[in-house]
Formats: sequence, structure tokens, C-alpha cells
Amino acid sequence: MPNPGGPGFNELVSLAPIEEQVASPKVRSRGITRRQALAAAVATGVGVGVVRLLGGSMQQIAGPRTASATNWVSPLNSESARVMQLLRRTSFGYTSAQLEASLSDGFNKTLDRLIETKPAEPPALASANTPGGRFPVAQLQQWWIDHMLTTPTPFAERMTLFWHGHFTSDYRKVADETYTYWQNLTWRRMAMTDLRSMLMQVTTDPAMLRYLDLATSTGQSPNENFSRELMELFTMGAGNYTEDDVRESAKALAGWQEPQPDSYATVVVDKANNVTRRLPVYSGQKNGVFNARRAYKGSVTYLGKSGPLDTQGVLDRVLAQPATASLIAGKVAIHFVTARPSAGYVKNLADAFRRSKYDMKTMMRAVFTSPEFRADASYRSLVKSPTEFMVHAARALGVSSPSKLIAGSGSGMGQSLFDPPDVNGWPNNESWISSNTVVERVNFATAAVAQMKVSLPSPLDAVRQHLDGVLSPQTASLFNQAADDRARWFIALASPEFQLK
Amino acid sequence: MNREAGINQLKRRDFLKAGLVFGAGASGLAAGYAAVPDAFARAVYAAKKEGMTNDNILVMIQLAGGNDGLRTLVPIADPALHDLRPKLAGPMVSQALPLNSQYGLNHNLAGIKGLWDKGKVAVVQGVGYPNPTFSHFESIRIWETGDPTRRQVDGWLGRTLATSYDSNGHPLTGCACGATDAPGALRDLQATLTVIQDQKKFGFTGGSEVEAAVGALYKGTPGIYGALFDTAIATATETMATLRTSASSYQPMADYSDKVKLVYSSKNQLAAALQLAAELIVTGTGVKLLHVTLGGFDTHYTELNRHDDLMGYLDSAVSAFYQDLSAHNMADKVLIATWSEFGRRPKENASGGTDHGAAAPLLLIGDPVTGGLYGEEPSLTGLDNTGNLKYAVDFRSVYQEILSGHLGADANKILGSTFDRVSFLKAPVAV
Repeated sequence: MPNPGGPGFNELVSLAPIEEQVASPKVRSRGITRRQALAAAVATGVGVGVVRLLGGSMQQIAGPRTASATNWVSPLNSESARVMQLLRRTSFGYTSAQLEASLSDGFNKTLDRLIETKPAEPPALASANTPGGRFPVAQLQQWWIDHMLTTPTPFAERMTLFWHGHFTSDYRKVADETYTYWQNLTWRRMAMTDLRSMLMQVTTDPAMLRYLDLATSTGQSPNENFSRELMELFTMGAGNYTEDDVRESAKALAGWQEPQPDSYATVVVDKANNVTRRLPVYSGQKNGVFNARRAYKGSVTYLGKSGPLDTQGVLDRVLAQPATASLIAGKVAIHFVTARPSAGYVKNLADAFRRSKYDMKTMMRAVFTSPEFRADASYRSLVKSPTEFMVHAARALGVSSPSKLIAGSGSGMGQSLFDPPDVNGWPNNESWISSNTVVERVNFATAAVAQMKVSLPSPLDAVRQHLDGVLSPQTASLFNQAADDRARWFIALASPEFQLK
Repeated sequence: MNREAGINQLKRRDFLKAGLVFGAGASGLAAGYAAVPDAFARAVYAAKKEGMTNDNILVMIQLAGGNDGLRTLVPIADPALHDLRPKLAGPMVSQALPLNSQYGLNHNLAGIKGLWDKGKVAVVQGVGYPNPTFSHFESIRIWETGDPTRRQVDGWLGRTLATSYDSNGHPLTGCACGATDAPGALRDLQATLTVIQDQKKFGFTGGSEVEAAVGALYKGTPGIYGALFDTAIATATETMATLRTSASSYQPMADYSDKVKLVYSSKNQLAAALQLAAELIVTGTGVKLLHVTLGGFDTHYTELNRHDDLMGYLDSAVSAFYQDLSAHNMADKVLIATWSEFGRRPKENASGGTDHGAAAPLLLIGDPVTGGLYGEEPSLTGLDNTGNLKYAVDFRSVYQEILSGHLGADANKILGSTFDRVSFLKAPVAV
């Protein structure tokens, strides 16, 4: 049993207690015995901790025919394991030095730093000055990934990705990469503020004005797209409003337009035929502008009250609905704590969120300090998104300049940044697992290891630092028997353990 | 040491050793990952004895975002259309490809119109369900599960796999082509299915050693995702083995192209997805239920060009697919059906587009079909209280006909109820 004070970083954090290492019949039938698993572990000091019987409800996810009967043995009774879980869920991986610093600070101080440090701005992207705003989205993807790799405030990037999936827009429909770039900057700046100010920024964001068509809506002939998704996906959730509410708030929200350019540049678009076009130029980031002539003049009946209503009025009425805090809290829980949060847990988080006037720092602190976050059931209960997986792998390995590889590899795993599958944003957890995506994850591990031209860091350290030393018998055995460090790194990064957080 | 070799330095014998340790055994590994499938044996084996026994195949095409039914099957003689859509109605009426005096297909559906002329296209009008939701995701779920009460969690095609076929060990029985995750319609805890985004890229870049290593790595994975991970890898490796065989024996007999004009580029490569579907069908992999998606139909804005372009893309991909199947003498086995979560609002909005609607027509294409218009034309003047078209045919009537009449499956068991028939099949198996 790990000692109650928590083992130090270099000790085995998770070698399971002997009495828990009773292999289930299913495992035994595959030919692995407890003795073999332990022998594999002892050979390199890689811990094996996999044999806790799963409860009935957990098996629902997997299906009875192929359900695994075993679970990871949680090492979360040790502070070092809790710190590593916190970093895995709030960052895109870490270097050895960063991990050492966090372990030395401990959980509470690390959490303070993550939540309270002001987000570091990414370097300006020169392409964003392109007249007309069209440049390859790969530049934007690599720019963001580069910042994920190097930022001193990784939690800001993790939250920016969370909001990119929640208040989602895709570059195809926005059709202006400068707008998409601005949206990324805005989401980062607002990520840890309060929902009331966030919703106004979301409503008036130029990319969002295009993506959900508010920019072309008028009070006289409203476009319902933003009005509906504001309630269904961004705040309250389906079932908490009527179709009349959709129509009425579509009227009340109409009037916003894209920002006016500061000037125009004449650009040759077809050299051969000397075709030129006048394209808009912006001197800096701008928000949408309100044009009262396009707005609805009159009163609306919205969420049970009648009268004249402006945009802030719509948002405040949305914020007055208890369903809003519940929806955000539930989504946060699924992204940061557990794939199946209990109703009671979501309610606790939602209550804290509302009481704090929708303050995101309060919410996220409540999440990471909750007993649910450090409960054994939380251990490896979330699947890393493709971006988290790739950036973490590249940082753990120390791949130089991996952003191009990462940007180009996301699509086959289901996550191409700025190009979510639909207005519901990114999926999560089990939706990341399919025959196609798992092969692509393995292929990324192959490519990342192949890119290493210098000697690799210690794979054994990697198992301790990134996998808590908690390996399945299969992973431990393959790791131990691999021919060299490259093969060991491949096993570590391609393993199921590394896909989880 | 050659560092470029990278992961290839993993030696085969290491994994054979690993296989022995973990019980799969060297011969097991060899058989599991290198076996050449006997295509015809698989096709027969894939049907459960008590289930169906025919060799018909279904291809569902999802038009994601809510396809505008009034621009797909255009009511060319209805003056109300011009009142509702002053900007959008003109060109769509004047250019439509007439089917009769009342209706015409979108002018970009020329290939499908050609199949109509040969009696191979059925259009079921006014398809929907009671108390429609206007949420994409709720309505998608309703169509995927076949349950407007939203209690069912498994997909209707997934349940078909689970009840009528033995997909365990035959992961290609159900396949999502051109996707990275399983569409809800194919999902069922009891069913195995394959997801292939791009056939050309579907494989382990590290080669057979990586394939063997990963096969050993993903066995008995612990935790709540363990079985999902293990099944995904087992499915992938088995499918790769099948594709290695099928790709070498398949020659496309049609011109598939994804280089089409679109207002916004497409996330989905519809033609490539259908070409993969054709390969799986004509090489006898045992595939029964296929699903492909074309997105972009949520046309709230500048619908005129956007929708026309999408119709053109659908038309060229489906035409090539049918031609390919026909040239391989497989067209008599394959039913192609479109679905979309809803139609669009009859009245246009300020953005030159249309908001979320309700009832819409479905297209059923292929040799198994008796061509013609089915269902009931929805009235443009008798809209419901949300300003939307009233449905006349429950979408599950269409599912029932497909399940019973085409696949020979127990529709009542799968859908949980019996619905009115829509007799668009030439020779239904049994209903």
C-alpha cells in the first residue's frame, strides 16, 4: 500500500496492493497470471495496477459482449498522482521541469497558479493582416498549436479549446481567417471571466455573426439561427424554451452587423488577366456593430415576459434561467471530471456558478477541488481529445517544431482545429474512439517517434511522469520487451493509457 | 544505428513473444492479422440463421443540416411558393427538371433525373413525424434511433445489425464511409461496425510490425473505455486485411470526383465515400449496411447557390455510384436512400436563406425501386402553427419498408411498432 503521506515522485506511485491484484477469470483466460504481470512490473519497475472489478453501471459504456472486467487501480490517494491528473486535464502535457515544479508546489499551489495567472497572449499572426482575410487555415492551426506547445499559461489554452468547442464556429462558413483568428484571441481573453460578459462578446464576435447568421438578420425578417443555438447549445439546452421564444429572441437580437473595414486594398487576384479586387483591411481587431435601422421596433414576449428587449436584455433573461448554469456545469464536468457526472454533482457546480454571478474562476476551482475530481472513479475516466493527445505526446517526447505534423494529423482523429463537425462543437470521451481514430492515433505516435533525430528522453521516466506508472499487463510487457528506446516510446504513446487523462 | 528506421526497429519476434505471453499465440496473431478473408463465406456467415438470408445491401446518405425539400422536389405549379419565397422561388421553379405537371427535381439533379426516367427513383413526399423538434441534434437523434419519444438510445441500423446479422468478427457488416466516428444510426452496444474516413489512408503507417504490436497492446484493456479501444483496434486490423484484398480486385467503372464547385468547401468527401462503399459491395466483403454523410445543408443564408451546389455534388456522386454498381452487376442488390433531420421553413428569411423546418421528401434510388412519387404532397397554404409543412408519412414507414421489404429483417422488432406501408419496392421480400 502506498504510504499515507503519498509516495515521492520517484517512487512507484501505483503498484497495486497485492490483495487487489486478483486477476478476473477473463484476464486469466488470456493467459496472463498475476505472477507474470508482477514479474513484468518488477523487471523495470513499471507498476501494474489494473485489476479492480468494474461496477455494473460502468460496463454499460462498453457493452456486455466485449466488456472488460477490470479497471485501472487509481493512484489518486497520492498527491503526486493528483497533481499529474490535474496537469493532464488542465494543460497540453508538460516538460519534466514543469512537472517537477508542480510536484514541488503541490496540488493547491499548482491549482492557484493555473487559475489565477493571466492568460499569456500568443504572438501576433502576420497573415491576419492579409486584405480580405483569406489565408490558409493551416497557418492558423499551426499558430495556435505552437502557442499550446510553448505558452506559460497552458490552462488558458485548454479553456480556449473548451470554448472553441462550446461557442463554436467553423472557418468554412466564416470564410474569413482573420475573423476566425480574432475569435480565438477573444475566447482566450474571456475564457476565465464571467458568463454574462462572455455571452455579449460571443453575440457580437464577427466570426460568430457570420457563422450563425446574426449579421444578416433583420427585425423585419429575422434569421433564427443564432437565436436558437444561443438557447439550445450555448446556454439553456433543448426543452427549456419554446419555438415562440426562438422567434421572439430572433427579432430582439437582430441589428448586429460585421465591423466596417478601416480601408480597402487593391489586390491582383488573377495575374494573367490582370484582374484586381478591392479587399477590406482592418487596422486591428474589431467587434460587430449595432445598426438600429435593422433592429426590431416593438415589444416581444420572451421567456415569459413581454416588453421591448435589446440584446443585453435577451442575454440577461437567458442568465436568469437555472437551466443555463446546469448546462455549462454539466459540460464542464464531462470535459474535466467524469464522462458520467451525477445529477447531484452537476447541481452543486451549477449552484456555485450561479451564486458567483457566473464567474468561471469560481466554477473551475469548484471543479478541481471537488471530491469527485480526486475520486477513484475519476481516474482515467476521460479520453484526451486528439489535440490534447498530440500536443502532450510531442511535448513529452521533445519533438522539435511538431505543429505542422499535429495540424495535419487531427482530421483523421476527428479534430481539425477551427473546423468542428457541426454547430454542437467537438464531441468528447467515447466519441473520440473509432476504428479510424485509434489507427490515426497510433500513426501519430509512429510519426512523432520517427521525427526524433536526437537521442530520446528516458522512456521509463515517461511512464512515471505521463502514465503514473499505472500500466496494463499488456502495455507493461510490451514496454519491457521492446528492442530499444524508440520502441518503448512508441508503446508508451500508442498505449491506451496515454489516450486517457 | 539507423535512427530513421524509427519504430520499425520493433522486431516481429518481440511481438510474437508478447503474443505468446498473453495467450493469443504466434499462430493466433498470424491468423488474426494476415488471414485472407473468404469473401463469399463471409457474406453468407454474416446473416444470422433466424434473421434474414438475402444478400441485399442498404446505403443511407445523410444530408446533414436539414435539406430543403422544396428545392429538392420543387412544386413548380404552386403559386404559393412565390409568395413564401420571393427571392428563392423564381430560378428554382423555372430551371427545375419536370417530373410531371406539378413537380420537378432541382435542376442540378440531372443524373438522378436520368435514373427517374428509367424508373429507378422513388420520391416519398411529406416525410416527418408528430410534434417535430427544430433542434438539429434532437431531430437527428429521432431519425437515427427511429424514436420520436427520445427514449431509444441505439440506432435503427445498429439494432438491425444486432438483431439480424452476426457482426461479431465481421466488422464490415456495417460501415460508416468517409467519417471518423460512428453515426448514431449505426450505433448499438451489441453491434460491431467499422469507420473509415479515407480508404487510401486507412492503415498503420508503421507497417505490419506496428499492426502486430498494437494488436497485442490493445487486448483486455482495463477501464470503462477498454472494450471500446480493443474493439476499435480489432475491427481496424481485420478491416485492413479485407481492404488489402478488395482494393486489389476492384476497378472503379465510373468517374468519382470530389472536385466540385461549392460555396463553402465540404468536410465530407461524398464521392470518395461512395467509391469505398462500391468497393466493399462489389468485392463481396459481406457488407450490408453502409452510411455516408454530406454536410452543409443548414442553409440559413444565401441558400440559392449553396443548395444548388450541394444538389449538384449529391447528383454527381450518386450517379457515379449507381453507374459503378451497375457496371459490376450489383445494382439489383443495392438500395440507396437519403435522409435529413428536417426540411426547411417554407418562408424565406432576410438572409436569402431558410430556417429549420419540418416535413420533406426522401429519395430512394436503385434497381430495387419502383419509380414514382409516393406519400402525399404537403400543402403550402395549410402550414402548421409554426409555419411549417405538415407531414403525411411517418419516417418509420420508410424504415419499415427498407427493413422488411429490402433487407428481410424483422421491422416490427427493430422499430417496436408497425407503420403504414409505402410500397416503393419492386419486389418486397415480406412485410
